[in-house]
Amino acid sequence: MMEHIRTPKVENVRLIDRMAPRKAMVGTLYLSATHTIFVENNPETRRETWVLHSMVASVERPPTTPSGSHLVVHTKNFQVVQLLIPQERDAMDVQASLARLSRPEKYSELYCLSINPNANKEEREESWSFLDLQADYRRMGVPNNLWVSTPANSEYRVCDTYPSELFVPKSATPPVIVGSSKFRSRGRLPVLTYFHQDTLAAICRCSQPLSGFSARSQEDEQMLEAIMKSNPGSDYIYVVDTRPKLNAMANRAAGKGYENEDHYANIKLQFIGIENIHVMRNSQQKIIDVGELKTPSMGDFLWGLESSGWLKHIKAVLDAGVFIAKAVAEEGISVVVHCSDGWDRTAQACSVASVLLEPYYRTMKGLMLLIERDWVSFGHKFSHRYNHLEGDPKEVSPVIDQFLECVWQLSEQFPCAFEFNERFLVQLHRHVYSCQYGNFLGNSQKERRDMGLRERTHSLWPQLWKDRAQYANPLYRADHTQTQGMLRPNTTPYCFKMWKGMYNRVEKSSPPRQTPTDLLTAVREETQQLEEELTNHQERIAALTKADQTKGNAGQRKINKVCEEECRPGGLAPPTGDGPFTSPPQGYSPSQGGPPGSAMTLPLGPPKGPGPDPDDLSSACSDMESGVADLSSRSSSGGDDSKDPDEAVYCTA
Amino acid sequence: MASASIPVYSSSNNPLENSSSHNASRESLKMEPLADCSLLPGEERIIDKDIIYICPFSGALKGKVFITNYRLYFKSTDALLFAYLSQEKFEENGWSVYKPMEEFRRQGLPNDKWRVTFINANYELCDTYPTILVVPFKATEEDLRKVCTFRSRGRIPVLSWIHRENQAVICRCSQPLVGMSGKRNKDDERYLDLIREANGTAKLTIYDARPSVNAVANKALASYLLHCMLVSEVRTEEATGGGYEGDDAYQNAELVFLDIHNIHVMRESLKKLKDIVYPNVEESHWLSSLESTHWLEHIKLVISGAIQVADKISGGNSVVVHCSDGWDRTAQLTSLAMLMLDSHYRTLRGFQVLLEKEWISFGHKFANRIGHGDKNHADQDRSPIFVQFIDCVWQMTKQFPTAFEFNERLLVTILDHLFSCRFGTFLFNCERARDTNELRSKTVSLWSLVNSDLSFYQNPFYTPESNRVLYPVASMRHLELWVTYYIRWNPRIRQQQQSPVEQRYIELLALRDEYLKKLEELQLSDSSPNSSHLSNSSTPNAASPTQHITHLHTPF
Repeated sequence: MMEHIRTPKVENVRLIDRMAPRKAMVGTLYLSATHTIFVENNPETRRETWVLHSMVASVERPPTTPSGSHLVVHTKNFQVVQLLIPQERDAMDVQASLARLSRPEKYSELYCLSINPNANKEEREESWSFLDLQADYRRMGVPNNLWVSTPANSEYRVCDTYPSELFVPKSATPPVIVGSSKFRSRGRLPVLTYFHQDTLAAICRCSQPLSGFSARSQEDEQMLEAIMKSNPGSDYIYVVDTRPKLNAMANRAAGKGYENEDHYANIKLQFIGIENIHVMRNSQQKIIDVGELKTPSMGDFLWGLESSGWLKHIKAVLDAGVFIAKAVAEEGISVVVHCSDGWDRTAQACSVASVLLEPYYRTMKGLMLLIERDWVSFGHKFSHRYNHLEGDPKEVSPVIDQFLECVWQLSEQFPCAFEFNERFLVQLHRHVYSCQYGNFLGNSQKERRDMGLRERTHSLWPQLWKDRAQYANPLYRADHTQTQGMLRPNTTPYCFKMWKGMYNRVEKSSPPRQTPTDLLTAVREETQQLEEELTNHQERIAALTKADQTKGNAGQRKINKVCEEECRPGGLAPPTGDGPFTSPPQGYSPSQGGPPGSAMTLPLGPPKGPGPDPDDLSSACSDMESGVADLSSRSSSGGDDSKDPDEAVYCTA
Repeated sequence: MASASIPVYSSSNNPLENSSSHNASRESLKMEPLADCSLLPGEERIIDKDIIYICPFSGALKGKVFITNYRLYFKSTDALLFAYLSQEKFEENGWSVYKPMEEFRRQGLPNDKWRVTFINANYELCDTYPTILVVPFKATEEDLRKVCTFRSRGRIPVLSWIHRENQAVICRCSQPLVGMSGKRNKDDERYLDLIREANGTAKLTIYDARPSVNAVANKALASYLLHCMLVSEVRTEEATGGGYEGDDAYQNAELVFLDIHNIHVMRESLKKLKDIVYPNVEESHWLSSLESTHWLEHIKLVISGAIQVADKISGGNSVVVHCSDGWDRTAQLTSLAMLMLDSHYRTLRGFQVLLEKEWISFGHKFANRIGHGDKNHADQDRSPIFVQFIDCVWQMTKQFPTAFEFNERLLVTILDHLFSCRFGTFLFNCERARDTNELRSKTVSLWSLVNSDLSFYQNPFYTPESNRVLYPVASMRHLELWVTYYIRWNPRIRQQQQSPVEQRYIELLALRDEYLKKLEELQLSDSSPNSSHLSNSSTPNAASPTQHITHLHTPF
C-alpha cells in the first residue's frame, strides 16, 4: 500500500471543529499504510486523531480559499473530518492518496490481513473459538426428535452461500433436500434458523422459489409440508415474503416469484413490504444529509426526515419481525421467511424476530451469536454490501445498519431489556465496515474458509467481550419483567426516532451533559464498591473475632490497614467507561491529592501510550483496561472532548 | 349591578361594600346561611326570586334577585367553580408558598438602585399588576404615574429578576403607546434610561417578543394599514396606538424582535396538533403532519428567545421584555430566562414561586385563556400560552435531566389542574379579581396538594448546582413532541408509571445507603478511639452522588 502514498507528511495542517469553525488545532498530517493520522503541534496535549483508511467513504476538496485547501473526509460511519491544508498541491496529493488507499482492490490490502498472523498465534486461535454456533443450536434444543442436522451441505455442494451444517425437518429425506434446493434461487433451500422450545414452532429461511408463472416442484412442496409436520400442534404454516407484493410478482417474469397457495397445501402467504437494497441505499443517504444539516429549520428537519423514508423502512423491518415473533410465540405456528435471495431482508426479519422472542439475544453474547448465525453463517454478503473492496456500487446497501437500528429503537422502548448499551451497537456497526477483524470479510462461509481467514486474522468478538464493561447497560437486569419473554413493541410511526448517536454524533455530544444512564452507572459502581468494602470488613471482623482480642491496639492496626487499602490506587473497582464519568475511586476525595492512578488527579501531560504499531491490533482500538490508558486515550482523542475516543474512526494510541 | 360584570364565578360582594362591618356579615350568615348576601343593620329582606338577568356585558345569567328595604341585589347562581366547594384538607397551606417581599429579599432587593413601591396597593396604577412592585430607585411615584399613561393598560416596566453579581435586571412591561404618528413620551424615555443606568449598562436591550412585521403593524403607517389587516396582530393595537420603541426616541436602547407569534397562531397550532394525535395518532405521514402543526417551531422560537434574554443578562446587560400587553409572550420569556439563570427556580418550591410570580401575580389571563367554567369554547381569547410554557420547561428537563428538582409528573399535574378548577391557583385573570373573590381564603391552593406529597414529584437525578446557567439547545433535532402528555390517552404510553431508569436509580441509592449504614454500624461497634479516623475516610461516600457529580465537572 505504501506505493499509493504520494505524500507521507504535511505540516501546518488545521483540523477544523465543525461545530465551532473558528476553533481549530494546528498540527501535522501523516499518511501511513493503514491510517491517516493528525498530530497536534501543541506540546502540552499533542492530541492524535486516527482515521482508518478502510473507514473513509469519500474525500471532498471544495474550491481553494486564500487560507488554503479544505479537505472534507466523510467516513463510513457518518462522521466528518475537516482539514485545512496550506498548499493546494499537498491537498491534491492527500486527496489522491486517500482516494486510492480507501478503496482497496484486493483482500490482502485490508488492514486485518496486513498483520503478521503468527505474532499472537495462540490469541488468534483462541479468538475464533470464542463463539460456538452449534452450542447455541443446542441451547435452543436442536437437534431433537423434530429437527435434525443434515450432512447434505458439508462441502457446500447443495448451496455454496449456506453454512456447512444445516438443520432440517426429521422427515425431510435427502432427495427432498436436494430437490427443494434446486427449486430455490441460488439453491438456498428452507432450513431452520430458530426453534421455539415452548411452542415447538420454528423459523425457517430460504430464497424465493423458481416458480415463475406455473412451475412447481414436488420436493419443495414436500419440504414445506415437512416443516409444518415438525410442529405437531399446527395444521398450517406461514410463508412470509418480506418483499412488497408487486416486486414479488415482477419476479415471476424472470422465472422466480413466490409460492402458489394452490400448489402448497396448508400455507398462508404473507407479504410484508420491505423495500429493496437500492431504495434503502438512497434513503440512508438522505437521512445522513439531514443529520449533517448545520442549523435546520423545523421544516428542513421533519420534512427531510420524512422524505428520506428511513424511519418508515425501519418500521417495515420491525413489523416483519413482530409478525414472525407473534406467529411463533402466540399462535405457535412455524414460519418460512424469504425475500429474493434470502440474504438481506430475510436476515433482517429473522434476526429481529429472534431478538423479540428470546431474552438471550438481548445480551451481548447473544447478539454476537445472532449476528454470527443469521448474518455471517447464512451468507449475508458483507464484502459487497459494505464495500470492503472497490466494487459494484449497486451492490452496496445498509442492510445490517437497519438491523442494528431496529435493536436500538427497541432499546429505546424497553430500556431494561438489553444487556448492552448504544455504544455497543455503534461499535458493531463500525467494525462491519472497518475490516480490522476477519469476521465480516467475504460474502459467505465458503469464501471465508477459502481465504483462510481464521488462520490469517483475529476475531472481533473476544475483543468486544473484553471491553464489555463500557458496553454494559446499567439498567439491564436479568430478573426484570422486560427481560423476560417476548417483547411487544409499539410500532406506530411516532415511536420511531432519528438515531442521533449514529446520524448526528457531533450535535449529540455537545453540549456535554450527564444522562441519567451515566449517573446510574456511577451509583451502580459505587454500590458495588461499597458491597466489596462491606464484605472485606465482615471478613476481617470474622478473622479478628477468631484471633485473640487481648491486645488493646489491635483495632487500631486494623483501621489503619483499611485506610491504606482505600487509598491505594486501583485498590477499588477499576474505572470503567470512557465518558466524562470515569469516576474517581470513592474512598478518598480528590482534594487530598490522591495518588496517580486516579483519573482525576493525573496531570495533563503527553500520553505515554504505546506508539502506533500496525502489528499490534490492540493499539488500534482504544484500550480501556486500565485507568491510565483510559486517560491517555482521552487526552489524545480527536479534536475535542465532544468526540468519544472509542467511537468509530477515532483510533487513539 | 354587583357581580354581573365578572362572569360566571361571580361572588356576592360589591367591592364598594367591602367596608361593611364583619359583624354584619357574620350576623347575616347566621340568619341566612344559604343566601350569603350581607345585610346592613336594620336592612330587611322583602323579596327574593329566581330570575334570568340579561347582562349587557356577558349575556344571560341565572340567579336570584334580593330586594330589601334598602336595595336591589342580584346574585348569580350559575354553578360555582368546584374550587369554591372543595372541602379538601392538606398538611401544607400552598397559599404561603409565594411571599413577594420574601422573594425580592432573596434576590437581594431592595438595594441602592432598586426600591419597592406600594403605589399599586389598591390596583390604582395598574389593575392587572400585583400590589408590590420593584422600580428604579430614582423613579418617583409621580414618574411612575406618567409612564403609566404611555404603556398599554398601564403595565409599566418593573423588575422581575436581578442578577446577584452583575446587577443586570430583567424588566417586564407592555408595549409603548407610540401609535401611528410615532408619539414620544419623555417620561417613558427617561424611565427606561433609569433602568439602563442602574447597573451601568451601555445599551439597554429591549426584547419585543412579537415578529417585527406585527409590531410595525401596530405602529401602522396609514398606507400600511390595508396590508396589515392581513396580519393577525393588528387587532386592537391600531386603535389604541400601540407599537415599539423607536431608535430616535430611545437613544441608549437597542430593540430586538423575537418573532414569537400571537395567541391566535398558538391556539391554531395546538389545535392542529390535537387533530393529529387524537382520537387517532396520524400514521402515514407522521413527521410531515407534525411539521404542519408548527408546534415545535413555536416552542423553538420561545426557547431561543429566552436564551437570548438569559445570555444578555449573563453578559451583564439589563433587558426589558414586552409583547403587546405583556401578559402572554412576556411571561413565557421572563420565566424561562429566569429558569435558565436562577437555579432556585429549578427546585420544587422555587418553581412554584416562579409560576406564582411571573404568571399568576403579573396577570396572565388564566380565566380568559383557559375559559374556566365558560361554555364558549370558540372564544377568541382562548390560547394555550401556559401549556406552551410548560412544554418548554419539559424540553429543558429533557436536556438537563439532573438540573431540576421536580419531575415530569409535576408538570403534568400542573397542567391537569390548570383545567380542573379543583384548586384556586389558576383561577381569575389577575390579583385584583382574586382579592375581590376572596380566592385565597375560600379555595385550596394546588401547592397544598403538591407540597403535602413532595417525594412524588421529586426527580431522583437532581443534583443541585447553584451557579450554573442552563442554555438548552433550541435546535430542531433536540426538540421532541411531549408524547407522554399529548398522547397519554393512548394506553401504551405509560406515563404514570415510574420510568425504569428512575426506579433503578432509586433502588440503587437505597442499596447504597443500606451499605453505608452497615459500614457505619461496623465502625461504631468498633469501640476503638480511632474509629473516627475510619469514618473520615468514608465521608466522601456519604456526600455523593451530589459531590461525586460536582467533581466530574473538573475539566481534564
